[in-house]
Amino acid sequence: MSGLAQTNHTEKKDFLVRSSSLKDVRTFCREVFEKLHIEQNLKEELVLAIAEAAQNIVKHAYKDNPDTEDKMVVQISCNENKLQIGFYDMGTPVDPTKVKHREIDNVKPGGLGTFFIQEIMDAVEFKDGNKPWINHLVLTKKL
Amino acid sequence: MSYKVTEDGNVATIHLDGEIDMDVTEKAKEVIFPHIEAGKEVHLNLSNVQYMDSSGISVLIESHQKALEKSTKVIIKDVSKSVLKVIMMAKLEQILNLE
Repeated sequence: MSGLAQTNHTEKKDFLVRSSSLKDVRTFCREVFEKLHIEQNLKEELVLAIAEAAQNIVKHAYKDNPDTEDKMVVQISCNENKLQIGFYDMGTPVDPTKVKHREIDNVKPGGLGTFFIQEIMDAVEFKDGNKPWINHLVLTKKL
Repeated sequence: MSYKVTEDGNVATIHLDGEIDMDVTEKAKEVIFPHIEAGKEVHLNLSNVQYMDSSGISVLIESHQKALEKSTKVIIKDVSKSVLKVIMMAKLEQILNLE
């Protein structure tokens, strides 16, 4: 890891809330992580966790509104070797107590995205969304 | 995502290419499932898939389970290192047929 990961660096970008934006979310993350000189294996894991969280917004927070023109914001901050990724959306409020992955031994399609996020990140926290945002998710990883 | 299908007797070999995420899972299912439903053995070559998320993993699980129902199998071939890592994170390396 280079010295850049130890310095303060923040970037954010908005994306239309739809599945076709997920590729753009990944591209944005890869570009930021390149600048931060995060090593390849960790970079791949972080991109997966972030894309899964963005996918959850599309799939769950906007389940009843798939043709929305709303945007979600992804913010990546690196401060003293701690990476924080913030997600902001205006979809259906998330009840954190209901965000659970399936039992990993109960093999069936679905329910893995939240598991991947929890496996990869050190902390997953839902915060109160300040207006205009409804949901504010923060993922944290010590570098 | 793009794909190429080659059929040889009862084996359908499907090469997927690109990144497999929620946006392309329906397309992936449309490519894979008809061969399974026709009772073919499906060889799914993932050498050119460099990224797969939970939606893509779900397609692999569903394909595997559909094949069992049809008394055939899906064999995942030449999986890239990055996709293998996701399969292993999901603890599926002993469940799916990997070659």
